Amino acid sequence: MTDAVRDQIRAFILENYLFTSDTSALGLDDSLLGRGIVDSTGMLEIIFFIEEQLGVKVKDEEMIPDNLDSVSKIANFVESKRRAA
Amino acid sequence: MNDSIVALVTQAARRTPEAVAITWRRSTWSYGRLLRASEHVSGALRERGVSRGDRIALLVRNSPHYAALFYGVLGAGCAAVPLNAQERASVLVRQIQHCGARLLFVERDHPEREALCSALADSKVETVAIALDDDGNAYDRFLTELGASAPATAAAPELGDLAMIIYTSGTTGRPKGVMLSHGNLAANTSAIVEYLRLTAADRVLCVLPFHFSYGNSVLNTHLAVGAALVVEDNFAFPNLVLQRMQDERVTGFSGVPSTFALLLGRCNLHDFNLSALRYLTQAGGAMPRPLIERLRSQLPAVELFVMYGQTEATARLTYLPPEALDVKLGSVGLPLKGVEIKVFDSEGAEAAVGTTGEICARGPNVMLGYWADEAATAHALRDGWLHTGDLGHKDADGFLYIDGRAVDMIKVGAFRVSPQEIEEVIAALSDVEEVAVTAVADELLGHAIKAVIVPREGAQLDMRSIKAHCRERLAAYKVPKVVEFARALPRTSSGKIQRYKLA
Repeated sequence: MTDAVRDQIRAFILENYLFTSDTSALGLDDSLLGRGIVDSTGMLEIIFFIEEQLGVKVKDEEMIPDNLDSVSKIANFVESKRRAA
Repeated sequence: MNDSIVALVTQAARRTPEAVAITWRRSTWSYGRLLRASEHVSGALRERGVSRGDRIALLVRNSPHYAALFYGVLGAGCAAVPLNAQERASVLVRQIQHCGARLLFVERDHPEREALCSALADSKVETVAIALDDDGNAYDRFLTELGASAPATAAAPELGDLAMIIYTSGTTGRPKGVMLSHGNLAANTSAIVEYLRLTAADRVLCVLPFHFSYGNSVLNTHLAVGAALVVEDNFAFPNLVLQRMQDERVTGFSGVPSTFALLLGRCNLHDFNLSALRYLTQAGGAMPRPLIERLRSQLPAVELFVMYGQTEATARLTYLPPEALDVKLGSVGLPLKGVEIKVFDSEGAEAAVGTTGEICARGPNVMLGYWADEAATAHALRDGWLHTGDLGHKDADGFLYIDGRAVDMIKVGAFRVSPQEIEEVIAALSDVEEVAVTAVADELLGHAIKAVIVPREGAQLDMRSIKAHCRERLAAYKVPKVVEFARALPRTSSGKIQRYKLA
């Protein structure tokens, strides 16, 4: 996982859902849903962010917690999609 | 005379103790289990010395545990106060104090638990933490946590007794607790069961929070007839919800407009076998016509019930019979059995056909009033009618159409939000001279919140710090999506803020 992708994802979530730039507010493995950071519409916005800002298409069957429920999981998912492309 | 909801669920459990009541994560609770657990809740409350009518607060997300606690509280003769699990501790504390809750059942892993318990430490409110687990031993642990030495069978309530209080769209300073009686719940439950033709053979997938009136009615109506609830914690991954609907062969699904928008937005319903699906229900605000049409074209054999109501009416006031959907598209239908709806003009006379006025209702589902707020109660319940604050009109056939809101209220998704609540929170910032909050259109949620702020002279305010301040004190859906700064707020000549000019 490159730090750049991870940092970009974390910055997006911090800015839009926690309204801070303090990285200590969001652990890389924190569950976004479990901690109540995002809800169903927030998750949809994250998917749009992945597609529009990170250039990775998210298929229906890829919309699962294992790919999207933490900064690390999203970063891993994005990296693996980029490698496969 | 209707049976109380507790009596109906108990009867269902005695009839078919082995039948599935609730499926949630990896666990399935039969009716027998649910009844036993709720009797343990009643037993635990009685052993703790609660009295009839005591308010018992619940901060527990959708789960079989929630159902056991809810019916157990009612069975003990107490009133349940289900709290909004998305809300922050500072708001919850005020609601718990406002209703004078005797005890709070709180989910052990709830993100606000620690803050809430420490805020209540000096109060007389007893807190009981409950683990929401789904492993093989979770059920026995739940009973142990309740700490009852013996289960207690439900006492038969008077139908006029207070059954629950639902806090809705108030402000932190003035919480608004809708008081619903056992008779309210029983009447609304039986009317909904009748028009949805619910039976023990039904299985509904529920993503709606039980602590709001719509989710509460889904819970009560299905368990009253011995049907099964498939509980889904979140709706963040709609394709997984659809997969579950297929695998569990659900016959029903209830949602608000944004639920259906999410469901249709990224998923193709044709990819799933939903052949068991019999009905869909939609409430919580007007659903855009294109969405209704897409839903119907993707699921042509499924009955879609468009409905209207509010917490003050327990949940439901009207529904549009599915067979009338084509000819009355845009209408929320006809009153439920036992409910009377009239549209009154500003003079208090019944409005003519096609003329917009305030929608008023009366019937056995209309609330007792707002808890400890006589003025708000007297305002809402006037001359024997519930004044809904919604504007609408009837057509020549008596079908009701919603035209807007008579009072300031923002509907974010299906949540009612008082602009004053957000203003109160933002105004507490010392750099804010004044603030006004309004609604702006949002593609997915219908409306989002916009705050227009006049900073104090020389003050430095930025959008992020405003949002962060709100998020610390309010549920996520109440945080303004748009924050603008202005030099002054638009006002009428009498000095009243013109909210419509802010959007």
